[in-house]
Amino acid sequence: MKGFLEYIPGDSILHRLDPRTKLLMPLILCLACFAADSILLLFVILLFDVALGYLGGIGKQTLRTLSKLARIMLFLFVLQILFIQRGETLIPLIAGLRITDEGLRTAALVALRLIAATMPLATLLSLTKLDELADSLVVRCHVPYKYAYGVTAAIRFIPEFSRQMSEIIEAQTARGVEFDTKNPFRRIAMVIPLCVPLLISSVRKIDGTAMAAELRGFNLRGRHNIRCTSRFGLSDGVGILVCLALAVAGVLL
Amino acid sequence: MISINQLSFQYEGGVKPALVDITLEIPDGDFIGIIGRSGAGKSTLTYALNGIVPHYHKGDFYGSVTVDGMDTVETTPERLAELVGSVLQDTDAQMITSTVIDELQYGLISYGIDDIDGRVDEALAALGIADLREREINSLSGGQRQKVAIASILALKPKIFILDEPTSELDPASSRMVFELLRTLNQTGVTVIVVEQKIMQLCEFCDRLIVLDGGAVAFDGGVREVLTHSEELEAIGVHVPRIVTLAKTIGSDKLPLNLDEAEAMLREVLA
Ligand SMILES: Nc1ncnc2c1ncn2[C@@H]1O[C@H](COP(=O)(O)OP(=O)(O)OP(=O)(O)O)[C@@H](O)[C@H]1O
Ligand SMILES: [Mg+2]
Repeated sequence: MKGFLEYIPGDSILHRLDPRTKLLMPLILCLACFAADSILLLFVILLFDVALGYLGGIGKQTLRTLSKLARIMLFLFVLQILFIQRGETLIPLIAGLRITDEGLRTAALVALRLIAATMPLATLLSLTKLDELADSLVVRCHVPYKYAYGVTAAIRFIPEFSRQMSEIIEAQTARGVEFDTKNPFRRIAMVIPLCVPLLISSVRKIDGTAMAAELRGFNLRGRHNIRCTSRFGLSDGVGILVCLALAVAGVLL
Repeated sequence: MISINQLSFQYEGGVKPALVDITLEIPDGDFIGIIGRSGAGKSTLTYALNGIVPHYHKGDFYGSVTVDGMDTVETTPERLAELVGSVLQDTDAQMITSTVIDELQYGLISYGIDDIDGRVDEALAALGIADLREREINSLSGGQRQKVAIASILALKPKIFILDEPTSELDPASSRMVFELLRTLNQTGVTVIVVEQKIMQLCEFCDRLIVLDGGAVAFDGGVREVLTHSEELEAIGVHVPRIVTLAKTIGSDKLPLNLDEAEAMLREVLA
């Protein structure tokens, strides 16, 4: 997950959207996915997610995220099929288990829904400068600076954490520890003990940052002195309308 | 002016005091070097000046610190910061935002300073990093970050400038440039307090050296005066420049602090 949620500089139309739009669009799309009960519509939303990635000039990363999510969802998909035994039998399996039409449909819905709902947030956040997002939340949405900064700091924390994690894994690999095991359970068992020292060092760093911020007037910041130049424009309206249309379709279909 | 009066401080959860009975007067316009082995309390002393101790790091605080007549216990760190600019030891942690330009603007915006763009350009130019202006902090090298950290405080034009190991990741030429910059600032009346491990730099640029050991002031005085105690300094983990040791060995009555002085001394001895 190296680079996940990390800002990718650029000058695409999506980069230039108002930061609020880039927070609102994934939210609406997420609602659309949970309202939708049609596999076709979920596919359309998924296509739209991928299109967003290409529009933002990060098509490759988007496809990579998609394939990662798909691999995780495959597991969920198989579980769902085995758990849901209602409906007509399509393929009988061993020990009385069977694949039913309803099982297949529900499993596909759940998997698609989760993928389609989470992708736009990842895509649009990596096209948003978090400082601009915080400033815009403070100035335009009247969120207190403390909370706005807190939220963006938390988002910033994720790529930082994963970067440090991969650094440690690299260092361990260089010392001959084999992380490249195929078995996902073994891999997890190897990574978990690394999380504790990593968390401690991250917390220490956050503590230092809070200190530095206080020394540069963190507590004096607010709507009255923060500068925010972003404004809603035509492309913001179009983006939000498309998402709303998908949400309405989700409710109706 | 800064006056520290019988200051002792022990961190909450610390096993022994980090600062022990420190009394110091720092007049305006001084250029002070602070040195001492790891854990001697150098960073903690800087925290006591900018209010991080006792406002941010809590603990047992005895004595008093006043900066321009303001008691640091009664003044918030952000108010003190208008007077005292601090470049912290951990440069990575000092990065509050994600781009260089935002980092430099941060304090200027908080304090409602008018000429933000002018100040930013000036600070970037002073550190020779105008080309980094639009860069992402994540994409910078350690040394570049260190320069950004210094620039972000320089832009605030503090009256008292405290730097905690500001050249730890810089190449020799850049470290020199930073010290030259500090000297220029000092000549305009800014009080400069710099914690540094490289003693040669301190000797060359500072007027006064404060040596800490175990949280207490072991030596405090003019650079030459402090350096005469070379054996005691070595004993508390401060390595005296070789040239000073040489001068002592050959029994010279002058202590050379830079190459020119060393050359003069050697010529005199050989003549
Ligand atoms: N947050 C803290 N909590 C408890 N003890 C601390 C804390 N920070 C520092 N100390 C202790 O206080 C003492 C002085 O630490 P300080 O960081 O001031 O040393 P220093 O001279 O700056 O060292 P270095 O050269 O390694 O930066 C050390 O014994 C240290 O272990
Ligand atoms: Mg220190």
